[in-house]
Amino acid sequence: MRTRRVNDVASLLEPGAAGWDAAGFEPVAMMPAPLAMQPTEYIRVKWEGREYGSDPGLKVASVHDGKRWVLCARWSGVSPSGIDFPDAIAVALPVRNDPPLILMGMDGAPIQYLRWQSNKPALRSIVATGIGHSENGPKMAAMSVKAHTNGEQWDVVMSRSLGGEGEVAPLLAGQKTKIGFAVWRGANEERGGIKAFSIDWIELALDA
Amino acid sequence: MSKRQVAMVMDLNKCIGCQTCTVACKTLWTRREGMEHMLWNTVNTQPGTGTPHHFEQMGGGFKDGKAQPGIRPTVEDFGKAWEFNHEEVFNGGKNDISLAADGGKYGKGPNWDEDQGDGQFPNSHYFYMPRICNHCTHPACLEACPRKAISKREEDGIVLIDEDRCKGYRFCQEACPYKKIYYNEQEGVSQKCIFCFPRIDEGVTTACSRQCPGRVRFVGYLDDPEGPIWKLVHKWKVALPLHSEYGTEPNVFYVPPLSPPKIDDEGNPTEEPRIPTEYLEYLFGDRVKEALETVRIEREKSKRGEESELMDLLIARKWLDMFGPFQNHPRDAARMRPIPANRQGFKNPLGGNDPFSSDEDMAALNGGAMGDSKPAGVSPIKFFTKDQYKNGGRS
Ligand code: SF4
Ligand code: SF4
Repeated sequence: MRTRRVNDVASLLEPGAAGWDAAGFEPVAMMPAPLAMQPTEYIRVKWEGREYGSDPGLKVASVHDGKRWVLCARWSGVSPSGIDFPDAIAVALPVRNDPPLILMGMDGAPIQYLRWQSNKPALRSIVATGIGHSENGPKMAAMSVKAHTNGEQWDVVMSRSLGGEGEVAPLLAGQKTKIGFAVWRGANEERGGIKAFSIDWIELALDA
Repeated sequence: MSKRQVAMVMDLNKCIGCQTCTVACKTLWTRREGMEHMLWNTVNTQPGTGTPHHFEQMGGGFKDGKAQPGIRPTVEDFGKAWEFNHEEVFNGGKNDISLAADGGKYGKGPNWDEDQGDGQFPNSHYFYMPRICNHCTHPACLEACPRKAISKREEDGIVLIDEDRCKGYRFCQEACPYKKIYYNEQEGVSQKCIFCFPRIDEGVTTACSRQCPGRVRFVGYLDDPEGPIWKLVHKWKVALPLHSEYGTEPNVFYVPPLSPPKIDDEGNPTEEPRIPTEYLEYLFGDRVKEALETVRIEREKSKRGEESELMDLLIARKWLDMFGPFQNHPRDAARMRPIPANRQGFKNPLGGNDPFSSDEDMAALNGGAMGDSKPAGVSPIKFFTKDQYKNGGRS
């Protein structure tokens, strides 16, 4: 997966901005987070034989301008309002020491997530060191999110600054890192580990 | 496993359904936004659907040790508080208006089948059953949570939800077979009865038990042979858990209600009690007959003027003895901060630096504005004076 360099990301902060069509969307293969990985017996029993995490047909594109990184995600499955759980997406980036994506990181090998959910206006930064071990992550400059839906498809544009210090996952011009995704369908009561996820890390190369 | 377990016994022979416990809890703990529909303590008419309605059909708990799927009760299932047209009725100047809930379009209230009960005259019957979180020994809520947001206190087994860890996934609500967990939409967290732990920590019994005018509720440690719980549960075996088949080992126990004899078609009393034993067994298991028989025998003894430890306990002549080691007055606990019986031997980590360690400091603090200069490391729980309380906690 590639992050293209553009002169200025400002015109791409809106979902549906004309520039995104040329940004080269790439499909992301996803599957349900395995039942055996669910952390409690209750959740395994409750979801046994019940469909969840079905492939949302996620497509993503990203750009940067040397200061700011912007990602646009499109997927289908928009839940009606007034239900118990929101639709949501999380973008995973390794902080250091090659964390396992499927385990949501481990001690000493954290993952930073950027999470949007349909009932909250702001983008959240979360740092995890394992399943059930996530905390509020570092706040970063230029964190923003905007979402749009036509009733069938979500179009979510999120951004953060380039760089990477402390618990901020490094995103540096001209360098490679890895990226992963998770999608929750609220209408199907998906939350926590009940989600679709992108199986393993995908290489992400940022243009110089 | 916790080292000790606090527990409650409720004597259903004495509950008058006044809901003072419900209000005591509501007033003390659930006055934050998003908590409007919460009644951590409920009192229901039995037989009835309970709160939330039909909770016994909502699943959760364990069967043969295996977690069982459950469903989440909705706010409507819990039953919302009704708005009444008091103003219109009393001051509206019309004489053809009658009192109506929610303009007559009310849904279910928390105890909507109030006083309906069961049975045909002359054998109609009902009794009241209060419920709180059971602070289970094997808590289904705790085990279901993927965030480890629920814990059971080592020192007394109180089950608490850490609202900073809770993400509002509500698996606990599904897993609790007693459906005693509420969801706060405003804050996105699950909330429930805390067994008044800040009071327990000060040797003060729970608000619901202390306020109960019927002297229904006993509080203490399950393993304390001097306390009322051990005597009622283990020694006299008259207090039984509700729906023990749910597999969570609840720590609230009930003395099942005795009832007058059932009347036959000719109008004569029979040997059978009016509240069907099968119904009580459905609630409290197969030791109901034994428990009722023990209470009956001891009651007869007492009637004959003989001594009965069980009757003395159940009558609760000495009110404070109902609360085991938790007999402190809430106001004294705040003023004096004596070391409560349950914390004797506790070493204050603040040592001499504890601003509450001397009466003078305490007096100085009481004289000052409440809470303004709260020293670091001190419990943020405030006990207001009557006047401060009336004034919304301000001096
Ligand atoms: S009654 Fe329900 S909420 Fe309370 S400890 Fe037991 S399982 Fe948890
Ligand atoms: S023990 Fe305390 S928190 Fe629990 S129901 Fe009683 S008053 Fe409410």
